[in-house]
Formats: sequence, C-alpha cells, structure tokens
Amino acid sequence: MFHIYCPYCEELREEEEFHPKGQAHIARPEEPDACNDEEWGDYLFFRDNPRGIHHEMWLHAVGCRKFFNITRNTVSYEILETYKMGEQPTITAEHLAREEKTAREEKTDSAQVAEGGQQTVGASDAAVASIKGAQA
Amino acid sequence: MSNSVHVYDARADHATVTAESPLAYSYQRSGMPAPGEASGEESCAVIGERAFLGHLILRGGAIVLDEALREVLGIGLPGRPNSLNVDAEGQRSVQWLSPDEWLLIVPGDETFGLETRLRAQLGGAHVAIVDVSAGQTLIELTGEAAHEVLMKSTVYDVDPHAFTVGKGVTTLFAKTSVILRRPDESRWELIVRRSFADYVYRWLLDAGEEYGIGVARESRHESQ
Amino acid sequence: MQRYSGFGLVKHALRHHEDWQRQWRNPTPKPRYDVIIVGGGGHGLATAYYLAKEHGITNVAVVEKGWLGGGNTARNTTIVRSNYLWDESAALYEHAMKLWEGLSQDINYNVMFSQRGVLNLGHTLQDMRDIQRRVNANRLNGIDGEVLDAEGVQSLVPIMDCSKRARYPVMGASWQPRAGVARHDAVAWGYARAADALGVDLLQNTEVTGFKIRDGQIQGVHTNRGDIEAKTVGCVTAGNSSVLARMAGFNLPLESHPLQALVSEPLKPVLDTVVMSNHVHGYISQSDKGDLVIGAGIDGYNGYGQRGSYPTVEHTLQAIVEMFPIFSRVRMNRQWGGIVDTCPDACPIISKTKVKGLYFNCGWGTGGFKATPGSGHVFAASLAKGEMHPIAAPFSIDRFHSGALIDEHGAAGVAH
Repeated sequence: MFHIYCPYCEELREEEEFHPKGQAHIARPEEPDACNDEEWGDYLFFRDNPRGIHHEMWLHAVGCRKFFNITRNTVSYEILETYKMGEQPTITAEHLAREEKTAREEKTDSAQVAEGGQQTVGASDAAVASIKGAQA
Repeated sequence: MSNSVHVYDARADHATVTAESPLAYSYQRSGMPAPGEASGEESCAVIGERAFLGHLILRGGAIVLDEALREVLGIGLPGRPNSLNVDAEGQRSVQWLSPDEWLLIVPGDETFGLETRLRAQLGGAHVAIVDVSAGQTLIELTGEAAHEVLMKSTVYDVDPHAFTVGKGVTTLFAKTSVILRRPDESRWELIVRRSFADYVYRWLLDAGEEYGIGVARESRHESQ
Repeated sequence: MQRYSGFGLVKHALRHHEDWQRQWRNPTPKPRYDVIIVGGGGHGLATAYYLAKEHGITNVAVVEKGWLGGGNTARNTTIVRSNYLWDESAALYEHAMKLWEGLSQDINYNVMFSQRGVLNLGHTLQDMRDIQRRVNANRLNGIDGEVLDAEGVQSLVPIMDCSKRARYPVMGASWQPRAGVARHDAVAWGYARAADALGVDLLQNTEVTGFKIRDGQIQGVHTNRGDIEAKTVGCVTAGNSSVLARMAGFNLPLESHPLQALVSEPLKPVLDTVVMSNHVHGYISQSDKGDLVIGAGIDGYNGYGQRGSYPTVEHTLQAIVEMFPIFSRVRMNRQWGGIVDTCPDACPIISKTKVKGLYFNCGWGTGGFKATPGSGHVFAASLAKGEMHPIAAPFSIDRFHSGALIDEHGAAGVAH
C-alpha cells in the first residue's frame, strides 16, 4: 500500500487515487522516420525493469490529473522521492551505490556489509545525461 | 487578436423545456426521506442539493486568470493547492483543481454574464473557459455527523481538524470520484458528475441511515 | 528411482514408511555441464527433464537460487487451459495440454491434473462476440470449446448469480471441458524427481551472479558456489529475467509486476469447475483441500517484492462476491504475490539472444503455469538442436523489432 506525495497537490494521498504509468525518462526519438526497426522497437518495448532503484511515471488520476515521477525501490517498495514532470531525480542507483561504498570504506573493521541482494541499477547517470542532452 | 469564441447562454429565457436537476430521477426512484423520518430521532446528517448553479472550468496561467477574476468578480484564485476562496456572501466560489485548472461556481443566472465579462477581460490570453453546469451538481451535507458519513465513503482524511474550512480536494468517493470541499464550519459540499449523481445520492442515504439522514426541504422544490 | 504405485504404497505401509527414498539428490556442482538451466521452477525443471528424456542430454544442471518450485510455480492459481485466440499461442498451449493429459504417467508422479473445465464468462454483447470468435478459432485449431448461454452457465455452476439483476449480468461463457487445474507443487516435484533420476543435477541455494561470455559466446555462469561452465545456458527465471538479461548485457521487453492470489478457509465442495471473468475481473476455483483459490489482475507498478497492494485484493473480492453472493461471508486465509514478467503483447519469449548459446524462456506473464510441460518440451528441443522448435519459433524476441507481435490481450482469460 503506497502513500504517495503528489508534487502538484503538495500532500500525501492514497494509492487508489493514482495510476502507475511505467518507466520514466524515456525520450521519444527526435526523428521517428529516421529510426531503424531496432531503434524504434527498443524505444517502444524494451525497458530497464530494474530490481532496485526505479524511476517511473505515475498519474494522479483521481486528483489533479497530472503526471509526475517517482523514484522507488522495486524490492522494498520504499518511495525515495517524487518530482514533477520535466525535472530530474536527485536520487539514483549510482548515487546510492556511491554512498554505500563510502560508508563501507569508513568502516574500520573488515566485516562485510550485506548487499541485501539488491541490484543498484536504474536510469544511470549517463542515461540521465543523455536525456538532458536530448531535451536541451 | 479578436475574441472569436461563441458563448452560448444555456439558460436563455426562451427555453421551452423545463430543466430537471440530476437528482430528479433519484428523488422519484429512491424517495426523499425527511431528516430523522426513518429513525424518529433528531437527524445528525442532512443532504441538500443546490441544483442549477453555474459551474465554470477555468484553465490557463494563474496570474492572468487571477487578475481577470479579481476585476470581474472581486475574488481571486486561491493561492494554494487544494484550497477554496468564497466571496463575502458565500454565493460565489473558486477552487483549485490542478496547477492550471480552477472551478468557479456562481448562482445559475449569473453564469452567462460572468463568462462573457471574463472573456472580454481576458482578451486574447491563452486560456480556456468551459461551462460545465449541466454536467454536474452540488450536494450539501450538513449536521454534526456529516463528516462521519464521509469517513465511511472516502479514503481522504475528513477529520474536521485535518480537513479545515477553505479546503477542497478531488478524491475517491465510494466507487466514483467527487470534488469534496468545506466552505464553512457547518457545511460540506460534494460536486458530483451528473451520471454518478444517483449513485452518490443512494450511497449517502445508505451510509447515513444510522444518523437519521434526510433531504432538506428547500432542495425539494427548487427549480429553474 | 523408486517407482511409485499402489502396490508400492502398500509395501511401504507394511514397513511403517521407513525406507522411502529421497525424491532427488543434493549434488555438488560439477565444474562443467553440457547445458545449464537457470531457474528451478516448473518450466526449468520440465526443460531439464525433456532434455534428458527426449534428447539424451543428461549432463545438465538446474541452478536455483532458492528451493525448487519456490517462485511463481508455488504462487499461481493452478489453472490449465489452451483456449487462446491466435494460432501461434493456441499451438503452444495445446501442445502443453496434450502433455498435461499424460503427465502423471510419464513422470510417475501424481500431479493431480483434474480436467474439470474452465468457464470464461461474458457480461456484455462485445464479450459474447469475442467469445464466439475465440471459440471458433479454437475449434479450427482442433481445440475443444463451446459457447454457452446464461442458462447453460447456470446449470454448470448453480451457485453463481446468473440473474438479470446482477450489476454485470452473465450473458454466457466459453467453456473448455478439457481445461482444469493441477497441483502446482507436485508439478515441480514430479519433474524434479524424474529429471534427477535421469542424471540431471539439481543445484539448490545456488544463485547466478553473472555470465561468462567470450567473443559473443556463452562460456558458463558465475554462482555463489563457484563458476560452472557450459556452452549452452537457458534462462527460465520468470520475474527475474530482466535482472539476468542485464548481467548478460542487454534489456528485455519485460516489466515485472506483482500478481496476487488468495485462498479462503476450506469449505465443503461447492464449486466443481473453474470460473473466470475478464469483465468483473476475478477468477476462482476450489482446490481438492476445499479452499477457494482466487486471483485477478496484476498490480500496475513494477515490483519484485512478491506482494501487492490491498486495493487490488479488495477489487478482486468484490468481483468474486458479485458473481458468487454465497461467498460473501467466507473468510480469506492467506494472500500472497508472485512476480510476473509481462510482455507488451501478453505472449512469452522463447528465444535465442545476442549472446550465442544463451537462450531465454520468459515473459509468460500471468499465464505460465498452464504451459509448463509445453514450454519445457519445446525449450528443451531448441536447446538440444541449437535451433528453435517450430512451435517456439514465433515467440522469438525479434518480434519486438520486426513488429510480428502475437497480440493475445483480448484472448487470455485475464490478460494484463
């Protein structure tokens, strides 16, 4: 059960008011006619589907009826942030992986930190940069 | 740029058909119990329909719409999401629905004049104004158990301390959606779509049974 | 392998059940196999079994990160049917259906396959047109099917509300008599035991952590129990397929969603068939233990958590009570979720990949259990021969680039 903060309504609302709408930050090819079948198929159908940090679109269907983005852990279901359309996430898998690495290095003993079996891949920094490039 | 939108007066005096409220059918089919009629005790929840009000949807930029509305109506757009501005007489209100969308409700016979004046004031601004008066109706819920009836019906927190006066939201109500708002201490307002009005009415009668719910007299004979 | 039989049962009873053999060994991984199957669910175990039985390839390892049949095999609602609309999927599911019909004898394990029939209800005129179209298509493909009217449905399921006063009155249904249910755990265990007897190594608690790839050819897998080599690797990991594909360096056209199911307290027998409804969106059968087994649609968001949201449970039960007012006071005992890997066209992927020797069998979405024997059978043939079995060929991953989709959304009993 999610309690979702709508960045437009500026308050937490019940999951039932929302519809999930799939992976966020997928840039439509600028010139669809220039795409080959592989590029177009990749754009239409192929998804990251990460086990771990995921950036996805949601629609506040019974509410303000705006699309927005959620960064969420697909294993623990924890919502890490919500942000408006057109904005970029401040929390990414790379960002969390770096933090975890730093935290591990700070530990003086050599005890291993459990990874929790989570894959820390989402929209990569590089992918986000390329999206930014496409929007600029 | 000229204002080329043709504005249509839906309440023109020469109309030959009698308008009926979206609940007219429901009153016939499901009845109109008087408050406390069924239980014989005093009623703690009362339904009252305010039919035939003028409902206008305003879309566009907040600044330009706010200026025009202040000029024409004397009240501005609410500054915060999920909030509601009501004029001094309590007859006209404007509610935030979305970052670029507001609901304006005025007495029915003012609708056409207001829309015309708003359009004139806005000139060629990039806005949309739609008269949705015929598509929805306003149901008032009063009485000390009003919020308890709502608690049974919606996932939104309607505790009077959380849902303060001046708040208004779009949310789920039973299996449909409503615009729910609280213009003053004693009243809750539900704005429901015409095609779901019967469903909401019957739901309210059922949910309010334990509070001796009934329909206020004045709403029974109101007509255009 | 100790064969199971009525006589054997008596013999063991006389010996106080003290010398039953373990159903399968717990072997140590060998450094090298001919074929590695990643994923020890029904589909993976069936693949291993048919590799050994039909193709004589017995130097096979099934690598499973948890325990056998612990994923979606243990989490589904056990419905088996083959009344799919399109020729490609009808061929695949009917292939499975024919194998189901002889499965208990084949693997000497009672999978409790019960052909009690499946009803797909129609609640609107459009539903009924779709049902007629699908049943006609099924019959042209040699698959049994009938179109029933509301009275026909009522006579099959007397406890269902088929009256006109229902919110969505039942107008009729498609009826596949050969369809039914099977005992999900027994399917995994039966295949496991039979594969093990033919020499397949079932490696539990062995998690694949990466692939060894050289010059575009698969060389083996890295696991938490060391590296294992093989020139042929088949991934049959359902909801986790995208995770494995990423390890191999590519994406799949999949999204993993939670799909929930629930069972009630046990009741006396009241429902002797399977009832599915697309329109009110719920499906129900009664297990041999007596509990009602109930399922519905997926949760719309991506999730690997094996749990979904309560609103989905609520909507499912509303649908069930709508159809069966008699169940309104039944208490639910348990509720759980599986991770289903859904494809854009609601059909599976049985395919080669960009990496030579690496095959994927995934994307079964909500409809994997019913295909278990067929999926394993055609996947084994493909792995053995290095080219896709004719039934599997249309389900290549290439269809998402060529556009030759097999759009089963309208045909699956409960599509997603």
